[in-house]
Amino acid sequence: MQPRTDWLSNRSGVIPLGYGIAVAGVAIIVLLGLGGSYEANVFTVALGYAIVTIGMSIQLGYSHQLAFSQSAFMGFGAYAVAILEVKYQVPTALAFLAAIVGAALVSLLMSSVLTRIAGLALALVTLLIPQIVSQLATFSHYLGSFAGISGVQPLYNGETFQQSLLGTGIVAALVLGLVTFIAVRILRSGVGLQLSAVAANEGMAEGMGVSLGQRKIEVFVLGSVLAALGGAVVASAQNIVTPDLAAESSQLTLLVMLFVGGRRSVWGAIVGAVAIEYLSNLSGTITTNLSIIEGVLLLLVLLFEPDGLGGIVQRGWRALRNARHRTPSGEPERTQKIAPVALRPDAVAPVGGGDTGE
Amino acid sequence: MSNFGNLLLAGITSGAIYAVFAACLSIWFRVANVLNLAIGDFAMIGAIGTAELTQDAHLPLWLAILIPLVASGLIAWVFDWVVLHPALDRGRGHSGIVSVFFYTFALSFILEGAARIVFGTDVHAAPALWAGNALSFGSLHIERAGILVLGLAIVIGGLAAGYLYYTMSGKAATASGESVIGSRVVGINTHKLRRQIFVTTAVIAALFGVVESPLTGFTFSSGPTISLIGVVAAGFAGFRRPGRAVVAGLLIGLAESFLGGYLSTSYNEILLYALLAVVIMIRPGVLGIATAH
Repeated sequence: MQPRTDWLSNRSGVIPLGYGIAVAGVAIIVLLGLGGSYEANVFTVALGYAIVTIGMSIQLGYSHQLAFSQSAFMGFGAYAVAILEVKYQVPTALAFLAAIVGAALVSLLMSSVLTRIAGLALALVTLLIPQIVSQLATFSHYLGSFAGISGVQPLYNGETFQQSLLGTGIVAALVLGLVTFIAVRILRSGVGLQLSAVAANEGMAEGMGVSLGQRKIEVFVLGSVLAALGGAVVASAQNIVTPDLAAESSQLTLLVMLFVGGRRSVWGAIVGAVAIEYLSNLSGTITTNLSIIEGVLLLLVLLFEPDGLGGIVQRGWRALRNARHRTPSGEPERTQKIAPVALRPDAVAPVGGGDTGE
Repeated sequence: MSNFGNLLLAGITSGAIYAVFAACLSIWFRVANVLNLAIGDFAMIGAIGTAELTQDAHLPLWLAILIPLVASGLIAWVFDWVVLHPALDRGRGHSGIVSVFFYTFALSFILEGAARIVFGTDVHAAPALWAGNALSFGSLHIERAGILVLGLAIVIGGLAAGYLYYTMSGKAATASGESVIGSRVVGINTHKLRRQIFVTTAVIAALFGVVESPLTGFTFSSGPTISLIGVVAAGFAGFRRPGRAVVAGLLIGLAESFLGGYLSTSYNEILLYALLAVVIMIRPGVLGIATAH
């Protein structure tokens, strides 16, 4: 145990906490600014989606796990909370807990099979899952068919409608802050580094001692649980859950949110979710042309800025910092540290490819 | 027995639809290593375009079919020129596993949005090319459009197999999918092949949309579902074997038909998807891609 390592590990707990508090704080300030308006409700729904996209950024962005089942788990979480609250009058907190535990168990069971199949095969199976879940919800009378289940409780029961709306938003913001903390904490830890290695080259990662199967299962379960949690928040904010939430189209929207925001950035995942959800609730020309706008945005991101909005912000931030720390010679000082969050998989590959020569 | 026979015919017909899209997907994947998730949207453009041009603009049928086909080809050509060429050939943007899905996924979004604005949200079907009641043979019934679908599927499948296995260009296409750099070294113009086959498969999909739309009907959002089944069928053929993709498409159609006929008409799609998922999970080897990337 060297003191330096301890200092690092302490720091790696403090910084994620900062991220979490900052995210929750900004979200609450925005909510207070919007008051009890319709926009505040839209924003709360967006926060629910952001919880899902954070999980996706770990799954798809950092770990390159091609799983497209998040909308199905969103549906799972939303329906679980709706059934427990509406049909069995279970208190909200307990219903959420049950939804999370349920999603963890189901995804654990699924992942023990799913994570053994690789790449495109995993993508294929997980593409089918949203179809299965949404169709099941559509045809099942118990799940309310097309109309879904209405009467889902808000996250906070205020005296007036406006108070409940605002309170629900604030609780959602706090949950999002907690999720951000957990995600950044994981990504800045040794496990995060291992995930980057797995994404870069599975064989290499296994050679370096990463227990591949276990990490894959953990990532799948984490992504699925966050998706279920996000779905439950969305249902609580909208007071209703319909089969659409679990469907393929909702999965496609999630992917656009992730890519536009930046698939390798927790900030980006949040910003992407909020931006797309905001756009889709505007009235007028933008909503009618939404899928064209989403498609063009996606193409622009893919062609010009692989890391999306998050990448642009990160690059701008770095340029700003370098400009402030200019050395007398005018050359920007290299202050960039290799932290798991900043680590690009392509930067890992040559290290693993080298011969240790022992 | 007649029930069985009719289910068989219906299954083969819908299977032929899946088979053609799966074949188009896998031929292009074989060349470019990219899945065309917009294939269903090209079919939608063909079907709805023809329907609108005949019903609203009162154009003669041949012109009403030709215009959407040319439009689909042009869209595909422009998309390759503006997006795929810089992305895949110039090394701009993403490559690898991301490029497999997301470029054409964006195209699908754009086409769907454009179709919603141009065509509206109604269900459309192109006029039947071979009008008349369903043909009956004893107790067996088959739609005339179904016979056209089957015939076209056989022709397209045959042409594709002939092209890939017996022409120089087809072999070059396979080579450029195996290794882009290796193919360029031996003088194969990989971009040109990719563009040609992308445009051709887009036009074929559009034409097939026109032929099969009397059976299924199309809305602006029909594309992704078609693409999904096509991708799954192509997946069962390892994504790069059009012949096997046709067989997989037919089997999926048959499975869907029999599940609907004997088990449950409302749950047949769920059962089908679950069956496909279980098959992949138990025997990922059937895909022939278990270790891809």
